[in-house]
Amino acid sequence: MKHITLVGAGALGSHVALLLRNVDARLKLVDFDRVEQTNVRSQFHSRKSVGKSKVQSLQQSLQFLFGLTVDGVPHRLVSGNAKEVLTGSDLVIDALDNVASRELVATVAHALEIPCLHGALAPDGMFGRVLWDGQFAPDAEPGVGAATCEDGEHLPFIGIVASYMAHAARVFISENVKIGFAVHPRGASPI
Amino acid sequence: MNDNNMELRGLIDTTEARVNITWGGQNGDLLETVAYDASDRMVRQWITEAVRHGSVPGIALDGHADFSEFVIDRFAATMTRPYNLIQVRPKTPFG
Repeated sequence: MKHITLVGAGALGSHVALLLRNVDARLKLVDFDRVEQTNVRSQFHSRKSVGKSKVQSLQQSLQFLFGLTVDGVPHRLVSGNAKEVLTGSDLVIDALDNVASRELVATVAHALEIPCLHGALAPDGMFGRVLWDGQFAPDAEPGVGAATCEDGEHLPFIGIVASYMAHAARVFISENVKIGFAVHPRGASPI
Repeated sequence: MNDNNMELRGLIDTTEARVNITWGGQNGDLLETVAYDASDRMVRQWITEAVRHGSVPGIALDGHADFSEFVIDRFAATMTRPYNLIQVRPKTPFG
């Protein structure tokens, strides 16, 4: 059995988890954050999960809906625990939203020789990236007051980008081939 | 070009690149390839002129197109994408 570690259970990560529910691999979720009311509009978390950890929320949803058991690490990934958390993975998926954590995941995955798939979204729902390893460089967070994905207006596009991420992960797990995409509202291009 | 794709050498022009642009949710390529090592400033100038003149298939003319805050990525040719790619895109800080 292969092992996938999905870091980040927000807009992209929560939907990637949903779409990987029947992949031939054991899934581990990593996120320190808790579900807030606003998350319900753009993430695969229910109103009943508000206040719970995002990891626990997804674990319970996947168990309740599909009878699927996934591992969970409801803690922030930091330099002191990253190696331990990622060790043993056949694939790491980065669905984070800040540069420091993305760089940590990329650095530790590279050091452990674990392939790393990155997913990233523009706040206006106009572009997404699904890239592997060194192809990916994270973009800095926008300033306070800038647009976010939180209002759910672009939920279908979030789902599209998450679908490409899950597809790329599935192809890698089954065929050991890395495919990447640039995703926009009218389609996607291979990278 | 990746080192493990040496067989691509000779099959493609490694000095040229396609330029792919995403603007306002629309996507298209510049009609002409450009030098793969063209500066970001030059790429920004070319695509701004092209979008403002409506000469990018797939992207509607926009006289106010502004790419100053966009990111320019470069991807060397691979076996599955046998051409160099310069991609001009909005920032993607979220996950």
